Amino acid sequence: MGRDRFAKQSLGYLYPRIKQSRILMIGAGGIGCELLKNLVLTGFGEIHIVDLDTIDLSNLNRQFLFRQEHIKKSKALVAKESAAKFNPHIKLEAHHANIKDPQFNIQWFQSFALVFNALDNLDARRHVNKMCLAADVPLIESGTTGFNGQVQPIIKGKTECYDCSTKDVPKSFPVCTIRSTPSQPIHCIVWAKSYLFTEMFGTSDEETPEFDHSEDNENAKEIENLRQESQALNNIRQSMGSDEFARKVFDKVFKDDINRLRSMEDMWKTRKQPNALDFDGISKGASGTKPSIAQQDQKAWTVAENFTVFSDSLRRLSTRLQTSQSQTGIDTVAPVLVFDKDDEDTLDFVAASANLRSIIFGIESKSKFDIKQMAGNIIPAIATTNAMTASLCVMQAFKVMRGDIDKARMVFLERSAARVINSDTLKPPNPNCNVCGVMSSTLIVDPDRATLNDLVEDVLKSQLGYGDEFSVNNEIGTLYDPDLDDNLSKKFIDLGVKADSFLTVIDDDEENPRVNLSLAILEKTLPEDTKAVHLPKKLDIARKPKDAPAPITNGGTNGDTNGHVAASFVGTKRKRSLEDPENGQQQDNKRGKIQMPSKAVGVQDDDLVIADDSNDGAIVIDD
Amino acid sequence: MAETIITPPILQGPTAKEKKYDRQLRLWAANGQAALENAKVLLLNSGSGVVGVEILKNLILPGVGSFTIVDETNVSELDLGVNFFLEESSLGKWRAEETCKFLQELNPEVKINALKESIDVFADNPSRLEQYSLILLVGPTTNARVLEKICEYADKSSIPLFYIHCQGFFSHFSVQLPAQFPIVDTHPDPASTQDLRLLNPWPELLEFLETKTRNLDSLSDHDHGHIPYLLILLHFLNIWKASHDAQAPANYFEKKEFKALVESGARTNNSEGGEENFDEAAAAVLKSLNPPSISSGLRQVFEADDCQNIKSTSANFWIIANAIRNFHTSHNGILPLPGALPDMKAQSSDYIQLQNIYKAKARSDLAEVTRTVRSSEQEVGRNPPIEQAEIEAFCKGAQFVKMIHGRPIRVAKCTAEIDWNDRAKVLSPELQTPDSLLPLYFAFLALDRYQDDIDRIQKVRKPADDEQLNDIMAGRVVSGAVPPLPMFAESAHFSTPTIDPEHDPKPWPRFDTPEARTTFDNVVKELDRADRGELHNIAALTGGMVAQEVIKVITKQYVLVDNTCVFDGIASKTAVFNI
Repeated sequence: MGRDRFAKQSLGYLYPRIKQSRILMIGAGGIGCELLKNLVLTGFGEIHIVDLDTIDLSNLNRQFLFRQEHIKKSKALVAKESAAKFNPHIKLEAHHANIKDPQFNIQWFQSFALVFNALDNLDARRHVNKMCLAADVPLIESGTTGFNGQVQPIIKGKTECYDCSTKDVPKSFPVCTIRSTPSQPIHCIVWAKSYLFTEMFGTSDEETPEFDHSEDNENAKEIENLRQESQALNNIRQSMGSDEFARKVFDKVFKDDINRLRSMEDMWKTRKQPNALDFDGISKGASGTKPSIAQQDQKAWTVAENFTVFSDSLRRLSTRLQTSQSQTGIDTVAPVLVFDKDDEDTLDFVAASANLRSIIFGIESKSKFDIKQMAGNIIPAIATTNAMTASLCVMQAFKVMRGDIDKARMVFLERSAARVINSDTLKPPNPNCNVCGVMSSTLIVDPDRATLNDLVEDVLKSQLGYGDEFSVNNEIGTLYDPDLDDNLSKKFIDLGVKADSFLTVIDDDEENPRVNLSLAILEKTLPEDTKAVHLPKKLDIARKPKDAPAPITNGGTNGDTNGHVAASFVGTKRKRSLEDPENGQQQDNKRGKIQMPSKAVGVQDDDLVIADDSNDGAIVIDD
Repeated sequence: MAETIITPPILQGPTAKEKKYDRQLRLWAANGQAALENAKVLLLNSGSGVVGVEILKNLILPGVGSFTIVDETNVSELDLGVNFFLEESSLGKWRAEETCKFLQELNPEVKINALKESIDVFADNPSRLEQYSLILLVGPTTNARVLEKICEYADKSSIPLFYIHCQGFFSHFSVQLPAQFPIVDTHPDPASTQDLRLLNPWPELLEFLETKTRNLDSLSDHDHGHIPYLLILLHFLNIWKASHDAQAPANYFEKKEFKALVESGARTNNSEGGEENFDEAAAAVLKSLNPPSISSGLRQVFEADDCQNIKSTSANFWIIANAIRNFHTSHNGILPLPGALPDMKAQSSDYIQLQNIYKAKARSDLAEVTRTVRSSEQEVGRNPPIEQAEIEAFCKGAQFVKMIHGRPIRVAKCTAEIDWNDRAKVLSPELQTPDSLLPLYFAFLALDRYQDDIDRIQKVRKPADDEQLNDIMAGRVVSGAVPPLPMFAESAHFSTPTIDPEHDPKPWPRFDTPEARTTFDNVVKELDRADRGELHNIAALTGGMVAQEVIKVITKQYVLVDNTCVFDGIASKTAVFNI
């Protein structure tokens, strides 16, 4: 009896197709390990695995292709090796790389029959969604958190894409809440992690990207105060290593800054005033406390215990930073420390500092265990949920491969024991979606000659009939609009428009604007006597639906979102902002001002900021 | 003082084990993990056995204490195609041992055993089951007797038992729990666990109310707009009671009237034209002024004999339940205060004070319950004392305690019908519902029954030689006098005889309509097509579902599937039935 008898029997005519299929799996974490096992045993002919991550101890409770001895090794490579043993007849290929790397271009995506997303972050999910739409390859999207899981098949033109619906975004806090008027434990934790830790041990000259320093009339004065406060703290950093260092830092952030805040009477009319801490008093009371208290991570520490952990972790971190500084040459970049939830020294410092601040503001203290979860944005994860989610992915894949799109479903796992699994029919594409509700095409460009003007005049105006009101954008910002014509004579390469990047043309015609046009750049040397820029085929661009007041996709009108979520365009995580042309109409009133990437995160609502960048999505999640 | 800086030793963080299990500790906490690590699981495997192994994988990874696989089969080529935990070199070797070798790699801390025996031995000697804390049985078993014996013994010994089928695109599992299986930590939504106890305020709360609302009308706009909404409700309750015979608003109309009274207290001559705190108060009228009541789950606990008559052998659960029942009785139907407060518009200092008042009350209620527990312990001579944390957890979650009433797993025999008792009336209409997945459960029962029938016929025939046995096993027509074995798809109708439930003392769920009958026949056909084979992917999914439930049973946390779940991999649908 052949080993594939059962599969043949149950899968019928689909089985030979499965055997010949070349498929791509992105992410080899919790869902990925399970998925790879299922794909291998289902008999898919060739499987490519992409993951940039390495294996961590906390993965081993569910990512079963990995063992103790694999820690710190590439997830993609180890997953491949472990799985290959179990079915030598299948071709497996592993890429220890970022899926956003240029080598994974549209042509490459097109070489697969099917793509599985087993990712842990919104940014990469959006990227793959976009690439699959551009390559017209079906995508099976999935995610888990704790007992919940979900699977969504995405087929261009037939179903919603990942960005057709709004995604929950990370919690965001106004900068003044974090720096001046915290009222919840999370405010103090964010302060300790993103402000204090970074100022003390991070790259202090760079503004913390998680903070929005934008001003309005209300907070302008306080923001200026905060700037000075940061500056003063930075000066204290110079005395790192001295005996007085701990006292200086302590007095600065737990006494002087607090007293300054206290003096601002307006602030405390409706709030409880903070009470500064006294170094000597607490120090005396903490004399009997041992630093080993830091190991007790389940209980909320007392003032004395927090103080001890604060001083001790400050000393440990200072020593580490100075040791690495003394080992680095003058020419190299100054070493810095980065917060890592699994780095005990950094976690202790953040936990103790956050709790001391909570005590000052009369906020409940948290245990180190809890703070780790909140600061590290840890999402609970277990084997069972991953096992179920991965299997559901494969089942949806069968439907997609059979062409039974009508029968494909959005599937959810629920904690409730009434149903276990729930499903929903797939929705048609959202016509207002800024990712799939656009016209896509390649744009063939001769890199030696092509200028922006070639695109604007020859292609857009002459060939496609655009009026005067439109703009050309890339992931960095607007390259051209009626008020911005400086770039017209520049070559594409000089504008940073490279092969496999995207341009978006937004029509601003008042009467009847076209849908956005997304152009994927394909570089090719063209004969001298032909145009330097041209479209491979004729385009018929639809007009925007009339009843579309605003884009309902990501980042638009939703008050508690910010530019972070609009990052369907490739860009470094930290630079994502409202300049993103994908942000649709929202963009219109900002356009014209922006030419180059700007550091400030755009603001549409008065409050915002702090977005954790590791696991930033609604459903996300397994690292 | 020494000038040189000595690099401090790296402090010991959480243990490697805690780190490895970090992501799951955030779901079921240290006590859940401890329960898992103490569990001894037995897998009685049959058929191609993938689903059993997949369940184990999902239990080994989170660190179950130990498990034992019972399976006498040797590895075939077919196994290599569906079972991930075997490799080429395993071919021909004892399957359980080979599987264990690969499973062990997943987690060196788990103790793993394999027994080269058939499941049938356990039916003859069921006391061997005793040493295990949970049993996984993969069906169909050799015959109904084996299944019945194991179910009976597990029931008698109060060992949770899972019975699982997985074939082709379909799977099923049923769980048999002790008749009373209480769950304290159901992990309710935090928002639903708040109890403000507004109808039974206590002196400290009233005192605070007095200081905050004494001169309500003369308060500044700012202060007036920051009175916490629950104080607003209490204040107006006092006003209401003064004109209503000291009674709180009891019905919907009175509450509506009361709501209007609250709303009339808001100042509207300010820039916002209203007050947020008053809006919050008005919005909370309907849900916050209900007289104390207890959930049906808790009521069942209170009514249970074990709760009313505690003994030295009573489980911790019952000793605490008894104490909370006493509290409930002696305080006119209120439960210990959980102590949490919702967010509300308030000045921070007021909110913190209010928080403290609630926390203090929760502590004193807990202390009272604890005193009862201690005196009960003394009374019945029970040692060691129950941990304070356990009492506290019960007090906080009392309202959400759930009592599962375990029911026996149904055994389908070829010689007798299942006694459905009270369930037939519930299941019959469900069988007529279009798209119901219940027919799938019946198809698996039919499969068990078919297996039992085949086993019976084979025993009667006593084959003359191996060749004839092979023919019978393969279901081929045997020459001469021996008739062919019944085919599954043809014999499946035995499982639902159309007997009138009104007149039959042991009514069966049945298919009343041709459509329902057709649905069943189609499911049986599809099941037959799988020919006892497992699809890895379906086995993996079922392994995930079952393991999840196993973990809930072992940790006694979260709400369980009670008691049967079927999965249809063609429709990607599950359904849960109480059978």
